[in-house]
Amino acid sequence: MRSYIIKRLFYSVIIAWGILTITFVLLRVGPTSPVDRYILNIAARGQDVDSVRQAIEARYGLDKPIIEQYLLYMGNLLQGKWGWSFSASQPVMDLIGSHWIYSFQLVLLSSIFAIIVGVGLGMLSAVKQNTKIDYAASIFSFIGISIPGFWLGLMLILVFAVYLGVFRTYYDTNYPIWSLENLRQLILPVLTLGIGSLAGYVRYTRSAMLDNLRKEFVTTARAKGLSERTVIGKHVLRNAVLPLVTIIMFDLGSIVFGGAYLTEIVFGIPGLGQVSFNAIFANDYAVVVAVTLIGTFLVLFINLVTDLIYTYLDPRIRYD
Amino acid sequence: MTELRAEQGGKSRRPFFISHRLVGYYWERLQKNRLSLVGLGFIGFLALTGIFGPFVVQDPQKTDFNIKNLPPLGFSIQESIYDIRTGEITTTIIQSRPEHPLGTDSKGRDMLAMLVSGARISLLVGLLATGIAIFIGAFLGVLSAYLGGWVDNALMRFTDIMMTFPFFLLLVLIVFIFGPSLAIIVLVIGLTGWTGAARLIRSEALSLRTRDFITASKALGASDTRVIFNHLIPNVSSLIIVMASLSIPGVIMAEAALSFIGLGDPMSTSWGTILNTGQHSLDSAWWVAVEPGIMLFLTVLSFNFFGDGLRDAFDPKASV
Amino acid sequence: MTVNTILEVSNLKTWFYTRRGIVKAVNGVDFDLWQGECLCLVGESGCGKSVTALSLLRLFDSPPGKIVSGKVIYDGIDLTSCPVKRIRQVRGKEIAMVFQNAQSALNPVFTIGDQIMEQINAHGHYGRAETRKKALMLLEEMNIPQAENALTMYPHQMSGGMKQRAMIAMSLSCDPAILIADEPTTAVDVTIRAQIMFILQELMSRRNMSIIFITHDLSLVREIGDRAAVIYGGKVVEIAPVDTILTAPAHPYTRGLIACLPDISADLKRLPSIPGNTPNPIDLPQGCTFHPRCKDVMDICRSTEPELVNIAGVHKVACHLYDNAGVDRA
Repeated sequence: MRSYIIKRLFYSVIIAWGILTITFVLLRVGPTSPVDRYILNIAARGQDVDSVRQAIEARYGLDKPIIEQYLLYMGNLLQGKWGWSFSASQPVMDLIGSHWIYSFQLVLLSSIFAIIVGVGLGMLSAVKQNTKIDYAASIFSFIGISIPGFWLGLMLILVFAVYLGVFRTYYDTNYPIWSLENLRQLILPVLTLGIGSLAGYVRYTRSAMLDNLRKEFVTTARAKGLSERTVIGKHVLRNAVLPLVTIIMFDLGSIVFGGAYLTEIVFGIPGLGQVSFNAIFANDYAVVVAVTLIGTFLVLFINLVTDLIYTYLDPRIRYD
Repeated sequence: MTELRAEQGGKSRRPFFISHRLVGYYWERLQKNRLSLVGLGFIGFLALTGIFGPFVVQDPQKTDFNIKNLPPLGFSIQESIYDIRTGEITTTIIQSRPEHPLGTDSKGRDMLAMLVSGARISLLVGLLATGIAIFIGAFLGVLSAYLGGWVDNALMRFTDIMMTFPFFLLLVLIVFIFGPSLAIIVLVIGLTGWTGAARLIRSEALSLRTRDFITASKALGASDTRVIFNHLIPNVSSLIIVMASLSIPGVIMAEAALSFIGLGDPMSTSWGTILNTGQHSLDSAWWVAVEPGIMLFLTVLSFNFFGDGLRDAFDPKASV
Repeated sequence: MTVNTILEVSNLKTWFYTRRGIVKAVNGVDFDLWQGECLCLVGESGCGKSVTALSLLRLFDSPPGKIVSGKVIYDGIDLTSCPVKRIRQVRGKEIAMVFQNAQSALNPVFTIGDQIMEQINAHGHYGRAETRKKALMLLEEMNIPQAENALTMYPHQMSGGMKQRAMIAMSLSCDPAILIADEPTTAVDVTIRAQIMFILQELMSRRNMSIIFITHDLSLVREIGDRAAVIYGGKVVEIAPVDTILTAPAHPYTRGLIACLPDISADLKRLPSIPGNTPNPIDLPQGCTFHPRCKDVMDICRSTEPELVNIAGVHKVACHLYDNAGVDRA
């Protein structure tokens, strides 16, 4: 087990390296360099383009050979020097530091919501297979997967904020993050982000449960005289949970972050998605790259944790 | 025995074999699933609209502030104008007009025309980008599975690295770097969305590789290329088709999301672009946000129904 | 000889309602089980013996399966119709069951110890230490080496024989009166088979337990059985002491089965077999289920199902050849 953990960590390092390298390549291959974009801003303000360009190139080492640039880039990133955001006039790190908590809160709450409701409905669906509850859940999950998340957000705003007036149409940052008022105004965003994931969880939980409900050890459990609740809630669930963990974590990594980005924009939540969005239209390279990298490394971390959790949960893999 | 060669993928010159006898069989099985037929029907309707629509409707980009904010047929909306000079509020009721059956947006552009244009773009992007993604994925997947060894290792590491990037964040980054044109968007979605296909097709091909019919054909002296093209690829072709139809909705949503946040092609009108406008006029022209969303939802739903039905038709055991 | 009947099954029918039709897996099974005996349910694959076993405790999948008629009387209760709570008190405690494939019958994510202790606690309240001691003793009774260690092992870490013995140990944890063993040796190799058979015989004498032993292997019947019930097409066609079945079978099917046993001393060019195919439970033949393959078939066999009648002592047969009880027409 321990050797597996070490191997896995080592592998993660390789992937991290790959991520940074690919990002570097993308940046250099682009039609306009980061400098050019910055220059556009400067030129608009009427400053002398050429001297500024030279100064920047000298400062950031952009006049050096590409290998040196690469090493500088890696070095800087690893040291936490993620550059300067000229549109926000602060180091990128600071910008991220003051905004990450909003994204974190949104993703955390949506995930908890999606997991509890999704897995719960999925279990119910499986146990009551082919009944009205099952069909209703099926339809609901089909719809949930097919609705564009950002549109759902807009519709929720339209109905509940514009017409019914239950919520405000904007996000007020004056409330402390974990206060009730703040949580209240997060209801619509959490619903928006959560429903997409939830719909998927219902389907996958249902199928994982059904797969296991037909297994022989279920008959054995019943033959032992255990109550149906124990049979399903303990024996079946413990087995169904295994693929589910992988699916939920994977969903978290690849889909939720994209969804969170859009949700923040729709609802005006000042998280990292919003930050990146603003940076795009200000041509602020460093910020966009930074947010992308953060998201990616989070996914890397989540994947690592998932692997380890899965190995722990399945004794067939743990003791080999 | 004659075989129908179906060409798939925008840049592919390699044929994916489907025997004409089997197509009939699969079609029969598909028909058993009502929902998938409904989905297919809607897709067909969309295709017709996309292909022929633009010739019939008005110019989607023509703005006319005289007819802005017209509601769709059957609805009317109140508009209150506050006159700064006199301090008076005049309320008028804006009625719909038959020449703009779905209304107009805040700049007077005809909704119907815009939606038709959006249909064309969504389908175009959907098919092309999916084609590219599936082609790359299938190619890498089969190659990796067949060659094994260090090639397989290296390719899978690379796939792992690409998979770690959250899809949407990567899209945003690349479009930001390379600029928002339709061609770039199609390319980018295609070049980043192949990872799932590669994985699945590789594992399918791996399980096929050890099957006896492959060993038999090699024993008969077939070369590697022959085995790959004549045996492996046709057998994964059904998986490829299912994956393609289930990937299209994701692609369409990705393009819509990009357009929604403003990273779409400024020259063309896609559903996402309309939503971008509509986002700001939720109270004055709600239909601008509702209509394209409904279209997106129905389109994605249809592809999901159809793809699900397709998957069931090919292999009922694989259904979720 | 006084006989104590502890289980009585009469006219048990378990049908499965599927999209393709009604699968009459068990279609009129009658037998009784005496105290301290080993009754073998014998038959080919698909004849309904496993479903019969599951039906005794209502363990089959309930949609689509349903007990359509019949009674299973144990200790004065009819297990086919009693409330679920009642049958749970019987399951595992009075009547226990072991299955063919220990790897799939045991839950892969819990340790053997946990699974055994779970059953012990399902039918009584014992402290943790006491439960553990009981589990340990059960494993030792099964001659499982290093029983302390075994408690913490997961099923996949054990060998086939060990798993099977662990499963048997688990089933005995509440000292049941009846053990149903569904082909317990089919999935293990010959040496383990011998161990299991030995253990089962020991258990019967040591614990005064009755066993319903389900198998398709006649040699096992001879080894462990006291009586045997032959099942064909979902019905019991003959039930008698094992010696009688093996030496003087009455039903044409049983005769065919015995005749099929290859004789090592005989010089055979071809292995004998019963012509025809086993009946399809969705589409059973009219009248006697065996009549299409029977060489002694008569007109009445095609139209009327024969009843299980007593032809000698405790020997019962369901065949029209014996319609005048005790008179062999053939």
